[in-house]
Amino acid sequence: MVPERFAEDADRTGHIMLQKNTEQTREGQGLTVPVWDIWVRLFHWLLLACVATATVTGFFADATWLRLHIAGGLGAAGLVLARIVWGFTGPTHARFKDFFPRPSAVMEHLRGGGGRHRGHNPLGGAMVFAFFLAILFLAATGLAILGGAFKTGPLAFAFTFQSGHAMEEVHELIALALLVMIGLHVAGVVLESFRSRENLARGMVTGEKEWRADDHQPRIARPRGLAAAAAIAAVGAVLILANTGLSARPVPGMPVANLDPTYAQECGDCHTVYHPSLLPAASWRALMPRLADHFGENASLGPELTAELEAYLVAHAAETADTKAANRMARGLDAPPLAMTETPFWKHQHEDLAKALFASDAVGSASNCAACHLDAETGLFSPLSISIPKQETIR
Amino acid sequence: MKYLLIVPALLIATPALAQSTSPSDLIQRYSAEAGRAADAGRGKSFFLANHGSGKPDTPSCTTCHTKNPRSAGKARTGKTIDPLAPSANGARLTDLAKVEKWFRRNCDSVLGRSCTAGEKADVVAWLASQ
Ligand code: HEC
Ligand code: HEC
Ligand code: HEC
Repeated sequence: MVPERFAEDADRTGHIMLQKNTEQTREGQGLTVPVWDIWVRLFHWLLLACVATATVTGFFADATWLRLHIAGGLGAAGLVLARIVWGFTGPTHARFKDFFPRPSAVMEHLRGGGGRHRGHNPLGGAMVFAFFLAILFLAATGLAILGGAFKTGPLAFAFTFQSGHAMEEVHELIALALLVMIGLHVAGVVLESFRSRENLARGMVTGEKEWRADDHQPRIARPRGLAAAAAIAAVGAVLILANTGLSARPVPGMPVANLDPTYAQECGDCHTVYHPSLLPAASWRALMPRLADHFGENASLGPELTAELEAYLVAHAAETADTKAANRMARGLDAPPLAMTETPFWKHQHEDLAKALFASDAVGSASNCAACHLDAETGLFSPLSISIPKQETIR
Repeated sequence: MKYLLIVPALLIATPALAQSTSPSDLIQRYSAEAGRAADAGRGKSFFLANHGSGKPDTPSCTTCHTKNPRSAGKARTGKTIDPLAPSANGARLTDLAKVEKWFRRNCDSVLGRSCTAGEKADVVAWLASQ
């Protein structure tokens, strides 16, 4: 015996109705209804994977994991955008109108009324929207940080190091809020599972839930797959175009792009050609007149060449660049440092790396920046360009 | 018209800019300056010796160039230095200004003084014989 209303539901949503003759038949006569379509389920678990990746890499991993962190964050934001489209085009319980948390519905639910919601209940619905907002804000602030601090991505043209840095705090606060929300969400699922005597998490795996006579009546909607695919493709295309256009804009505060060939030749024989933006002008002024006693070696040049190179270095010193290295490593020190490796910032950034790594064949010394920083000669020192030489090449 | 003048000017200017030389030119030049013939054996012991009179971190030429001039060396910063022997690296000992610059620097670092013309002649003779 199929209850009439259920038959109608199943028919109109285009889903196949499943009937199970289980022994533990409870009030639903063992009947299950499709609730979460495959896309909602995929979305849910992929979102979990992306958010988990971004969370772990964001809170616990060092800068070399930034690429994965960004992939997790952008993946989550992309999923949310696709889910928003599906919220207007998906089947019954995927639709926003099925779980939009109207205050009256939330109040009724809190009082224990309104019947059992097979889809999201009003509180769960509120959480869904809160998640979407948090994830989109995290992606936006993340891109601002990437642009300001690392001079990369579509927002690099718009954010200075300072403004990007300020976003870091906002980003972190939202991330903490997201963690709290995830905690509340899981607690809510556990609580509601007990309250309604069903495993809600399993429903998000199988997609099905028990039919019950007193269920809240959903407003039936048909999935419009083609419209959804078209809308998602359009959103994707707009984003790709925007990204390409914005990323191509000139970035203020970029370190000077082309190293002077004389400088590269004269100062690159013994070590990485250090980008002029890595030290303040005062450091170069102190270092150049003392080349005959240069870190325990004679690196002298003729007086004219020395003066020419000093002028070049001073003209493109840290004061002229807005990179993280120029801001954090080279500025705000009491005395001008003679080496990057002497600055507190450098020491702090590299304190977790083993001494043996620096002494290894592949690296040789801490001053061999280019062994690990593939973009050393650009002055950018982006965390996206760090590649630590493989263990087997280490003695 | 102008181009006709620029081309020969360039042809004349290029060799002067590169200050090109060769190991045998260098040996000739330094031994003439020293007033004696170059001695590859002396160059070898000079190169391999532990002088210790210069800067503490660089007691010997081999600190950076290793004992074998045909193999690559390593600066104290970890950067690889291409072999010094012209047989292993054709670009070596072909640019007078470069050779002079590195003798000036390296002799000061290792010995704490300039190298004499005789020492330069010996070292170049030894490197060229490898
Ligand atoms: C003869 C070899 C030699 C030459 C040529 C040379 N350097 Fe150095 N430089 C060194 C050594 C050795 C160190 C110390 C590296 C270390 O401590 O591991 C060093 C260190 C440095 C550092 C500090 C790096 C750090 O550890 O943070 C700077 C800056 C620097 N050099 C600039 C220059 C400039 C500018 C020139 C060109 C005028 C130049 N060097 C040419 C040998 C050289
Ligand atoms: C043995 C490999 C290695 C060498 C050599 C090395 N670094 Fe690094 N550097 C790293 C790693 C790994 C990190 C990321 C550390 C972290 O986030 O915990 C890093 C981080 C940095 C950062 C911060 C990047 C950011 O935006 O977060 C700067 C700037 C930097 N290094 C500069 C230098 C300079 C300048 C030199 C040479 C004088 C140098 N490093 C030499 C491995 C190296
Ligand atoms: C601190 C490390 C160091 C020490 C010690 C050192 N050298 Fe060098 N030497 C270098 C570097 C670096 C170069 C330039 C490498 C290059 O051009 O690739 C160089 C270049 C040279 C050249 C120039 C070759 C050419 O034509 O390109 C000669 C000759 C030379 N060294 C001889 C010596 C002699 C002789 C000694 C001992 C008195 C010595 N070096 C000690 C680091 C060193």
